[in-house]
Amino acid sequence: MNALQWLSRRSTPIILAAVLAVLVYFLWWLNDSYLEDVATNGCITLVMVMGFQLFMGNSGILNWSYVGYVGIGAFASAICSIEPDSKRLQMPVMYEALIGIHMPYWAALLVGAAVAALAAAIIGFPLARLSDMAGAIAQFALLVVFYTLLAQWQQVTNGPRTFTLGGTRSTTIWVALVVGVISIFVAYWFKESALGLRLRASREDRYAAASSGINVVATRYYGYIISAAVGGLAGGLFSHYILSITAKSFYLAELFLVLSMVIIGGSMSVTGAFAGCILITIARQGLRQGEANLTNSGFDVSGMTEIVLAVLMILFLMLRPNGIAAGWEVRWRLPGRRAARSDSKQRS
Amino acid sequence: MADLNEVPVPGPSAQVPPPPDQPGAVLTVQDLFKDFAGLRAVDNVSLQLRTGEILGLIGPNGSGKTTFINLITGLLPKSGGFVVIDQVDTTHFPAAKVARAGLARTFQTIRLFKELTCLENVEAGAVGMGVPRRQAEARAIGLLEEIGLADQAGKRAKSLTFAGQRRLEIARALAAHPKFLLLDEPAAGLNEEETAALLAFLKPLPAAKGIGILIVDHDMHLIMNLCDRIHVLNYGKTIAEGTPAEVRANPEVVGAYLGSAAR
Repeated sequence: MNALQWLSRRSTPIILAAVLAVLVYFLWWLNDSYLEDVATNGCITLVMVMGFQLFMGNSGILNWSYVGYVGIGAFASAICSIEPDSKRLQMPVMYEALIGIHMPYWAALLVGAAVAALAAAIIGFPLARLSDMAGAIAQFALLVVFYTLLAQWQQVTNGPRTFTLGGTRSTTIWVALVVGVISIFVAYWFKESALGLRLRASREDRYAAASSGINVVATRYYGYIISAAVGGLAGGLFSHYILSITAKSFYLAELFLVLSMVIIGGSMSVTGAFAGCILITIARQGLRQGEANLTNSGFDVSGMTEIVLAVLMILFLMLRPNGIAAGWEVRWRLPGRRAARSDSKQRS
Repeated sequence: MADLNEVPVPGPSAQVPPPPDQPGAVLTVQDLFKDFAGLRAVDNVSLQLRTGEILGLIGPNGSGKTTFINLITGLLPKSGGFVVIDQVDTTHFPAAKVARAGLARTFQTIRLFKELTCLENVEAGAVGMGVPRRQAEARAIGLLEEIGLADQAGKRAKSLTFAGQRRLEIARALAAHPKFLLLDEPAAGLNEEETAALLAFLKPLPAAKGIGILIVDHDMHLIMNLCDRIHVLNYGKTIAEGTPAEVRANPEVVGAYLGSAAR
């Protein structure tokens, strides 16, 4: 296999990363703090979306508890990176062992991802056997448990009060971009890995997958853990950008946003989830702007953004349930050569 | 090397018939039962399949053929009896472990991974057995060429013709490099020409790949021309087993199933 073929086969994440880099660089270049904020937030959301797609897209199972793992990563990494003195001052009830922890930002991000993955490994084990309705209800109940824990466990999360990180934003636009690019590669690598193929096979037909030697329960379990790790990473980025977080930041509104991006873009491909994230991020800004303008001119339309996104999601579920991309991946093909793989779209 | 294989295996081997004279594996089903709420769907069925041969399983609708296949592949729990695949007792194995023990299958109602490409479908058959992705891909490309779908490799499985989907399912099963292959009505829905192509494809498989095939079908022309032996079920019970000629001459089989159609 020559270098061009090698590149062609891996072109999907490279193209998506390039598009992201150009968009972010452009918004930064415009030198407007609002647009820089949109770009940074967009990258953080993208990491969340990639982690969500990683499980939902490949397994076909909606993981309601996902944003709970984002929250775990956010709090865990914040606890790790804040100076002990600052923690003692702000949160006197915090466990002594947690107050003593202190590590650099990048290490705190990794710990956040690791704690989220560990939580998923422990909680997911008994839940992996549940399927369909029972599994969905259990995951939703788990989200409520996460929310309640994050909101009430004073010795860890400062309880219902805001958890303030203080200092300067460690998550800069460039850090968010780099992690965003990494998350694209992780999501694509996972999808194309043997584990990802097994998970996709189980999504398409559980019985045929089992009869092909695939342990469906174990496959889902591993996918769930990796997805939670990416979510935890996104949480760390988020808390070190927003600098003050509460349990509410990781609940239904956040889940709804990620879900609408993945459903509208198309959960079955990394390209779809990426496109959904970018398009909804842009659409949200426009809607917010319109909402503010209308409200200022006398018509109170607060909540319009959420309603429009919800209606859009419903329309997609009805008319194009596989989203914009419907499983398609952007790919650079070698000119004049019929690719042996995945050219389904070109032919049909 | 041959001597090493003669070490006796503990467990149910006491009930297992002696190993065959020729090299290869045996699939043994002994005294298999299945009760569905008072209905005995499979009643005391025993059979043996060796690598290198094709065994047909026939019987009228509702005679328990598909239940039998779902039992030995681990998709349904058994009410009694045992299954041994190449000296491994798989009686209580779940479907995935049965597959890993060397038994691959196709389904009466095609169960492909519809949104995946044809290549990925076949790859999944190998990856499910623990084969790394690279190797699985090479294996899948070879199999797609064998079944004549190489030019469709990048297409999604759902876009294939019905006959193509049937062939792809067989390729996916073969990608596991099984010792035994179970085909559940592979000719259902195929026209005469396609069935003839299926027959031509299946006939040399046992010798070429060293596998044993158990085939269920209602197409008597296919069964009679393909199988070395035929096992006949009626109301969940074995009513005959023998060569195609013996089965065709058996008055009970003719009465229960074949009628005059087979002649």
